[in-house]
Amino acid sequence: MNPVNIPNVKIAVIDNDLLVRDFIVTVLMYCVNRDVLSFDNGLAAWKYIEANESPDMIISEIDVPGLNGFELMAKFKEKSPDKKCLLMSENPANEQLARNSGADAFLAKPVSVNDLFRVVQTFVVKD
Amino acid sequence: MIKLGPTSEEMRAMSEDDVFSSRLKLLIIMAKAYLRNCPLGNYRKKAIIENANHVFYHSLHLVSESSVLKDNSLEIPADIVSREKTSEEHLFHQRVQLLAVMAKALAEDRLRGNFRKKALTDNLNMICETLIFKFQIRDVNFLKVA
Repeated sequence: MNPVNIPNVKIAVIDNDLLVRDFIVTVLMYCVNRDVLSFDNGLAAWKYIEANESPDMIISEIDVPGLNGFELMAKFKEKSPDKKCLLMSENPANEQLARNSGADAFLAKPVSVNDLFRVVQTFVVKD
Repeated sequence: MIKLGPTSEEMRAMSEDDVFSSRLKLLIIMAKAYLRNCPLGNYRKKAIIENANHVFYHSLHLVSESSVLKDNSLEIPADIVSREKTSEEHLFHQRVQLLAVMAKALAEDRLRGNFRKKALTDNLNMICETLIFKFQIRDVNFLKVA
């Protein structure tokens, strides 16, 4: 394993599909050997982010209740412009919208283990 | 912005089977990383145990669902028949469940000794061999058409 680029990296995953969310959390927790925050809606995630130090990276499904992925990203980027926001979707039309709205990455579903390893390689770990 | 994942045409909602196969792949990576002496921290151990539990119970569910239906002379859904119709595939699920138990043991520092590591290696090899074989068969589907 490569050395961690962001020490004590803090990642939040937002998805209302429990199976998918738990899977993503397991992969990321294994990769970074840190706890990973998990929320089933955008509003709960934003309330946490607003009241605490921002995570270094959020990975949010676009179609979640409360605040959707775009709304959550806008608030997150306003508070922490240097932090990373990755949006996920099963809908191809959302890719261009994610690009236009300033997402750092777009994860097309179904998400694979390799995709999540690349997320860690790209945004967390040194080459 | 970088894009990860399948092409637009292949995008879809993740099914239970997608999650199961991805978790199984992750479990194989976790076990191989352990055999190559990659360091294990507390959260990494926790992730291994959670993943092993998911894989074990999903595999058990697939096997038991098929047996209960058979025992009650009920019709088995096509997708279960395709997974469980041969003893080879039944054995594959037993190996997957064994891998999950082994992975939990390694995360709890209970997988000690060379013979246990050899058993883990052998089990991993058998699972990977089956997965590669299935992949290759699916890959050459075009051979069925002359």
